[in-house]
Amino acid sequence: MVWHNTLTLHRAKVLHGAAWLCVALAVVAVCGQAATAATEPTIIKVVGIENEYANVAQQIGGRYVSVSAIETNPNVDPHTFEASPKIVHQIAAAALVVVNGIGYDGWADKIIAAVPNPQRKVINVQHLLHLPDTTRNPHLWYDPKTMPAVARAVADDLAAMAPAHAAYFRANVLAFDASLQPWTTAIAAFKARYAGTPVAVTEPVGNYLLQAMGADIETPFSLQAAIMNGTDPSPQDVATQNALFRDHKIKIFVYNQQVTDPLTQSFLNLARKNGIPVVGVYETMPAPGYTYQSWMLAEVQALRNAVTTKTSTLSLLNGRH
Amino acid sequence: MNNPLVAIVEPGFFVNGPVHVALAIGGGAALISAVVGVFTVMRGQSFAGHALADVSSAGGSASLLFGIRPLVGFLVMAAIAAGGMEIIGARQVRERDLVTGVVLGAGLGLTALFLYLDATMTSASGAANTVMFGSMFAIAPSTVPLAVIVGVVALIMSGILYRPLLLVAIDPDLAAIRGVKVRWIGLAHLLVLAMAVALSAMTIGAILSTALLIGPAAAALRLASRPSWAIAIAATIGLTATWGGILLAYDSFYWTPGHGWPVSFFVVVIVFASYMVAGPTGTALARRRAAALPAPALVD
Repeated sequence: MVWHNTLTLHRAKVLHGAAWLCVALAVVAVCGQAATAATEPTIIKVVGIENEYANVAQQIGGRYVSVSAIETNPNVDPHTFEASPKIVHQIAAAALVVVNGIGYDGWADKIIAAVPNPQRKVINVQHLLHLPDTTRNPHLWYDPKTMPAVARAVADDLAAMAPAHAAYFRANVLAFDASLQPWTTAIAAFKARYAGTPVAVTEPVGNYLLQAMGADIETPFSLQAAIMNGTDPSPQDVATQNALFRDHKIKIFVYNQQVTDPLTQSFLNLARKNGIPVVGVYETMPAPGYTYQSWMLAEVQALRNAVTTKTSTLSLLNGRH
Repeated sequence: MNNPLVAIVEPGFFVNGPVHVALAIGGGAALISAVVGVFTVMRGQSFAGHALADVSSAGGSASLLFGIRPLVGFLVMAAIAAGGMEIIGARQVRERDLVTGVVLGAGLGLTALFLYLDATMTSASGAANTVMFGSMFAIAPSTVPLAVIVGVVALIMSGILYRPLLLVAIDPDLAAIRGVKVRWIGLAHLLVLAMAVALSAMTIGAILSTALLIGPAAAALRLASRPSWAIAIAATIGLTATWGGILLAYDSFYWTPGHGWPVSFFVVVIVFASYMVAGPTGTALARRRAAALPAPALVD
């Protein structure tokens, strides 16, 4: 278990090592401005490293926050993200930063540490949920328990910074929780009727949601970890996965649109050849046109369509395929 | 089962799809690399071979960007580099190494750019690892026909080039006097080299493909006194290393539960081991040959 996680962390380190040279230079450049940025904010600057956290922060902070996101491109793999001086500036100027943790956005921790600001608050979702560093799957936002906790933490921090608007933030949390209802209802309905549905995945991105829906993930975790970390897959695992398609042992193929390689492409071809419906999942909120809630609901509906009518929803962005 | 193979081959090896693809493409790459490698080592072009491989990584990383087959990317870039080196090429070894080094640097610079773009513009994951160090079990089965065509063309070209290239490798001046078009033969050799390099870059990665090109050939030339024998021995070593590496990588899945070790590691280790063994063995063979001749004894 520890092994997978150290791999993720190690890879993140290697990939971002080179980026640090330029980041370090940029930090020097923006340090001076950071101190002035956080004094008595009328509009509180919030950064969500991944745009799904930014979206929730926006919904809680409403008119009193200006929120920006860093990981926003649905065509890019955030695991291989490289920071730029502009991003250092963005984080330095923020009064509240939401990071995922579990090594997923470890580069952000380094920037936060490099541009110290006693007034800035940081919500680390991993720590918020009391998850150990050895957690294998870093894609926390697919877990139905995650965002309600994030929403509350955001409201608490904003209320501490702008006590006059505390009631407004808390009301927004209630509204947010209520707006998650259709999603949680859809999850429960799926679980009630289709628990035990066998699915194959490329990478663990959607696993927390699939588990909440009662689906059985048949793909070996070592293969998911190899694809996520970009390491050599073992032939045993590849053969196991191929057999899932060929022998029609699965009802849905959950395909991560943001972590692809020739191997995932070959699985996609196998799924099509064997008439297995494909559902696309994302590392960041597909934009434009979605909020966190509507995105999650769309994923559950797509999974339900896959089981009931064998419809594929490869992309949530370009209409149904 | 009383099969002695069962002791070394873990169950399922011979019926595993990815293993079949790896055995086919890896074996082909090893075979052609060995044949071309012998001439490359004889002509003293090991560095050029390495440079072609490094430059081909730019093609491999660009292929992910443009969504074309990695093999096509490796091949096109290696061929461009081969042509480029021959055009700028210089006859003096010292100057040739300089040109090669400059081309190599430029090629790897392009690779750095393409890998950066892969990471920031596309969803391609693990590109650096795959392009540089290979991922034999992740090769799409649909690549096999193209790989076979490239391999067969490379082998036929090697067959046609065999005699003139041998002459050029041993004595370029004599070859020129005998009417061999040294420059054209050189270019043809570089093109075959590009094909060999592209195939091995697909399998054990661009950086490591030198190991498959130079290692078996170097070991074979230590053992054999005739080029034909050297080619046969190099091919045997290359195939043993590649297939043995695939087998060990497959077995390694059971050593560290749930994780296979990288194939490229095993292939390179076997190549290195053969070279180390070939050294003393070759010396012993040479001494025996010398002793059999009525010539003055060698002094150590």
